[in-house]
This record gives sequence, C-alpha cells and structure tokens, in this order.
Amino acid sequence: MYSLVLLNGGIGSRVAAGQPKQFIRVNGIPIIVYSLVAADAVDEIDEIIVNYPEGWREDVEKLVIDYAIKKPVTYVPAGATRHESVRNLLPHCKNEHIVLHETARPLISAADIRRLIADPHDNVSFMLPIPFTVAPVEPETGKVTGSLDRDKLRNVQLPQKYRKTDLAGAHEWAVREGVVFNEDGTLATVAGYDVYFIDGTDRNFKVTTPTDVRLAGFLLGGEDDDE
Amino acid sequence: MSKSLMVTGASKGIGAATVERFFYADNEVDDFILLARESEAFSAFLDKLAADNPHGKKVTSYNIDLADRARTVGLMKDVMATHGKVDLLVNNAGYTSPMSIQQIEFADFERTIGVNLYAPFTIVQELLHNGNTFELIVNIASTAGMNGRPGWLTYSASKAAVITMSEVMKEELAIYGTRVVCISPGRCATDLRKTLAPDEDPTTIMQPEHVAGVIDMLASDVGRFVDSRNLVVRM
Repeated sequence: MYSLVLLNGGIGSRVAAGQPKQFIRVNGIPIIVYSLVAADAVDEIDEIIVNYPEGWREDVEKLVIDYAIKKPVTYVPAGATRHESVRNLLPHCKNEHIVLHETARPLISAADIRRLIADPHDNVSFMLPIPFTVAPVEPETGKVTGSLDRDKLRNVQLPQKYRKTDLAGAHEWAVREGVVFNEDGTLATVAGYDVYFIDGTDRNFKVTTPTDVRLAGFLLGGEDDDE
Repeated sequence: MSKSLMVTGASKGIGAATVERFFYADNEVDDFILLARESEAFSAFLDKLAADNPHGKKVTSYNIDLADRARTVGLMKDVMATHGKVDLLVNNAGYTSPMSIQQIEFADFERTIGVNLYAPFTIVQELLHNGNTFELIVNIASTAGMNGRPGWLTYSASKAAVITMSEVMKEELAIYGTRVVCISPGRCATDLRKTLAPDEDPTTIMQPEHVAGVIDMLASDVGRFVDSRNLVVRM
C-alpha cells in the first residue's frame, strides 16, 4: 500500500489575495479538493498525509469533512521551505511506499496516480519533454555560457513515487551537506538513489498565476466538444 | 453490478411511472428507495409493487414531507446506513399552489421553494456528506421554469432555480464522474398539472410514462451523449 504525501503548505502570493493558494477555487471548487478526491479513488492508497500553512489546519480539516474523504488523513504543519515540508511529512507515513503530490496541480486524475504506482521501479517521477530551447546563462553578466541538449532535459512534474527510506535518506544527505533542493527527484538522484521518469501530460501543470487558474478551470470544465 | 435508485415524490405521477419503468425491467437496478408523503396513493402503489415483483427486487419506502428539512437531513443518514449508496437519484417531488402576486401567502412560497429547491439540494448535499458519489442525478424542473407564467410565480421561480442549480451540480460533481441532468417537462398529466390547469383534459397531453421513458434513456448507456443541461420534454 501507498501513503499519499500531499504538499499544501505554500503561500502563493502570486495567485491569492489574503489567503493561501490552496483555498483558491478552480471551477468553484477549492483547489486542494481535486487531489484529495483523486487519491480517495485509488485503492492502492490507504492514507493521506497533508500539511497546512500555519493557522489554516481547521480549514483543511473542514474541507476533508465536507467532501467526505474516506481515507484517513493526517495533518502536519508546513515547514519553512518545500524541502523542509517533505522532510517533516515523511515520518508520518506508515507505508514504505509513498506517492508525493502537490495541491497546486489540480488536473491530476486517479488514473494518473494508478499509472505511476503501476511502474515497476520504486522511485519514479512524471516528467514532460521540453518543447522549447533552454540555455545556460550567467545572470550577473547577462552572458550565455553554452548550450543544452533539450532531448536530455525534462520538465519535472508531480506526482512522484518513492521508497520512503530512499527519500528520507536523500533528505538526511541534504541536511549533512547543507544543501536545499526545491524538488525531490533531482535531490534523490544527486544523493545517490536511482530515480526514473515516465512521460506526464501538459494538462498536469502547476497553477501559480491567475491565468493558470482560468486555464485550469477551462480544462476541468470539459474539452471543446464542438465539431 | 447491483444498483440503487432513489425517487422522491414516488407515490404517483412521474415519480411512480419512473419507479415502474425501472422496477419491471430486467436490469441492474434492484434496490428501490421510495420517498413520498404518507397517502393512500402511496400505500396502494407499494401494494401493487409487492403483489407483482417479477424480478424479486427490493423496495423500501419512507414517508416524509420534504418541506421538513431536519427530517430530510436525518433520513439521508438513515438511507446511507441501510442501503450503503444511492447510484441513481431522481429528484421528482414537486409542490405548487398557483396564486396571483397579491394573493400569495409567504408561507406557501416558502413551502414551494422548500419542496422544489431546498429538498433536492439537501438530499444531494447530505448524501455527499455521508460519502455517497452518485452515478446519475436527474432533477425534474419544468418548462414553467424557463419562462414566467402569470399566476405561477412561486412555481416558476422555484423551477428556474432548479435549472440553474442543476448546471452547477453538473460542473461540481464532475470530479466524481457523476452525471447530472435536468429535464423540463411541459404539460404532463399529473396531479400537479391538475392544480395548475384544472380545466384541461389530461388524456390529451403527455403522460408520466413518457417522461419516465426519457429518464430511462438518460440512465442508459446512450444517456451520456445527450446534452441534458436542460432537456425539454413536451408534446
């Protein structure tokens, strides 16, 4: 069985006015609900570990009750950084296998989570090919420093899945080395664990701007079905 | 797979016709949850189903006045405890007492909104709160909800609200894969129609069985291909 680790702690100053972005509504529904309902429909997940921004625990609990989420939910205070939040959430998982997701990606479906779980590797991330060219630069001098082969680059997405001991080991390594990552797939890789990827979809984007909120609402409202 | 069907206003008219349509068919629907006010018509209908049950289906009846919100909330808890789930819901119960603006008793307006609007909302919300995710919800509105009719202010207003409420339900409950459809019957030979148009010969207009046939179609495999934002059903 898997534990769902749901990142829900960030304050999205770019999207929200006066409240954490987790309570932003997409198509009238609080954004966190999409991830909770998707996970609730996956038989392989038997618990949800979610964090909350300081002062917002009751609001998260009320949403879990209002939407009658059936899986047991554990609430954990958010850390100062995303990196710290993941580290704090892991000890609350009872299972050795975890699925890591973030509420800012509401276009996740139960089928996506099942596809991730079905992959034979232990540590796997959804990733997306990059359809445009990126360049390494030196921001201070404004100088381009070389080129990157985009065929060998991927846009890192969530959800991801891990062996809990591998991800916890990676975070211990980061503490020892004094380094901070803003994403766990690359952290675990640099820390020496094998991480694999499977192709995600461009629907599963992270909602970070007001335009994203509208775009997500449009996509969730149904595809264009006119001839 | 075994499915349950809940119908409100199940004692007569479109409600009873819908129950019969599903009850006498050899289909997956085998758990019938029937809600109506206590009446001789309801008792007689239940006796009829008990006497002729060719597929051995289960029928459970609940006497309730859907204007009583507290009882409705409690009943939904009981329904979930007893039946476990409601796959198909037909919000059919309706009330009207047509009056001109100057004659409308406010309590009667409240009862109309209570039965026609608050009750289907409460039933859906409470079943969701109790962990139910529906396959299909059918809300019965009315063509009288699409245009105001003189003398029908309370009824027209309540049914207009049912049409827009259904649109919202359709969007929000998509996260569960629930289909929400709203149908607006025109003139149909029911007791409610007799109240609205006492001088009309009911044999000359659409019958409840016709509307039940449309609901049956919406619940079938092809139902999902019908854009039922507000499906008008009339002669």
